[in-house]
Amino acid sequence: MSALVDLILGIVTSIGGFVEVGSISTAAQAGSEFGFQLLWAIAIATVMLALLVEMSGRLAAVSKDSLAAAVRERFGIHFQLVPLTAELLIDILLLAAEIGGAAIAIQLLTGVGFQWWIVPVGGSVWLILWLCGFGLIEYGIGLLGLITLAFVISAWQLQPNVGHLGGSLLPTLPTHHFTRYAFLAVSIVGATVSPYLLNFYSSGTVEEKVTESELWVNRTTAYVGICFGGVVSMGVLVTSAMVLEPQHILVDSYEQAALMFVPVFKRWAITLFALALGVGCFGAAVEITLNAGYVFAQVFGWSWGANRPRRDAARFTFAFTLVLLAALALSLVRFDPLRLTMLSVALTVVIMPAVVLPFLVLMNDENYVKTHTSGAIGNGLLAALTILGCLLALVVIPLEIFGG
Amino acid sequence: MDLVRDMLDKKVVDRNGREMGRVDSIILRVDAAAPPSVLAFELGPAVLAARVRPLWGRWVAALEHGFGVDEGRPVRIPFTDILHVHNHIKIDVAFGETPAATIEQRLRRWIAAIPRSS
Repeated sequence: MSALVDLILGIVTSIGGFVEVGSISTAAQAGSEFGFQLLWAIAIATVMLALLVEMSGRLAAVSKDSLAAAVRERFGIHFQLVPLTAELLIDILLLAAEIGGAAIAIQLLTGVGFQWWIVPVGGSVWLILWLCGFGLIEYGIGLLGLITLAFVISAWQLQPNVGHLGGSLLPTLPTHHFTRYAFLAVSIVGATVSPYLLNFYSSGTVEEKVTESELWVNRTTAYVGICFGGVVSMGVLVTSAMVLEPQHILVDSYEQAALMFVPVFKRWAITLFALALGVGCFGAAVEITLNAGYVFAQVFGWSWGANRPRRDAARFTFAFTLVLLAALALSLVRFDPLRLTMLSVALTVVIMPAVVLPFLVLMNDENYVKTHTSGAIGNGLLAALTILGCLLALVVIPLEIFGG
Repeated sequence: MDLVRDMLDKKVVDRNGREMGRVDSIILRVDAAAPPSVLAFELGPAVLAARVRPLWGRWVAALEHGFGVDEGRPVRIPFTDILHVHNHIKIDVAFGETPAATIEQRLRRWIAAIPRSS
């Protein structure tokens, strides 16, 4: 019974926690500029994320070690320094973008400029982390995040042509602006396969004391929850494609993206969009901040855990506080949250090979996963992901310059 | 035992199971007349940084000195203090009694001053 409750909660939180600033902005831009044509990118990115999340959970459930800890032990500090530094930098950029996204959501609701909301949002993130345990943080964020299902409801109400939707799940070449199209495709992958998600998930598995006998829960949560989460992201793209593209509205700010809800939700459109954006961004901000503490503590071998009293994990608490302060400082400099988001998702793609490659080794090392090593299909998919990650990392910077 | 695979970078816990850090370097005794032997291992950000670049190690050591947390660091644990090596290394010392706990204890004093920290 407990496993079933865990499974349902896990799936619900995966759906509710899927959409955040990166996925909303990339999917909204893709829909407004290329209609349904980039749905395939969301589908591929979602499958990639589901595979990696399942492996992160399996690794943590069997070895009782998080991903960051396993990489330090298996590959040593010389290897880990590169992804660690890059991930930290990206986490700070992404955290600043999430805080900015949540602040803009409050601006949409109140009319008061978003700069005034940055410090209160950052303070609220810290308070949540100070006062709540892991379960409350994860499930609370996931359940509140169900408001993002408004994107799916909106897409459903707009009655898109099912044939066109199905056809868009296969990659096709655009008729115009090829570099922009390729840039958005790569950015969708970067926004979906965020490195913080992988370590956050594995750390959660350790915090929740998931055992080998519950690996089926991990597998089902990862595949079903993440795939339904991908449907929410597709809802953003479809709504944007059906509402914004015909009117030639390009998404270069969140205020414009909010217009996508008008045909379905009428006078509640801005409120609902703001709530979906705000909850999605705030939840992601909490998770990124917590994950920063996890990464530092796990790499350096400190005591850690959101379920521990904060004074008993002092360096862990100090580390996530410091990262939050760094992101807040960046947020307070006048910046465009949408541009910051696109920059951070592009950088995520750059480090993708260093994120994916360790899985290929760890998931075949019996010291970590015992008898639960990856089979031929799992290894084949991982190898394909690694090659794809390398290719995307090579092209993302030129695409950012010419198509971003 | 394969020192690099089984010891270097492994998590170190004290006799009560409290996390102390990771094995950041290993001290060997090299003697022409005998095979090399392991004397101790070290914990601490300065030795970890020195492993990557010696200059970085000096910078981190200077930083620790600047914050006044350098006394007794890096912490050297004799090989004879190891209780067992599994997926972590358990040693026969108490974390709070070693300089490895200096920063944790200092931060804990600040954190304890904030309501609902325990």
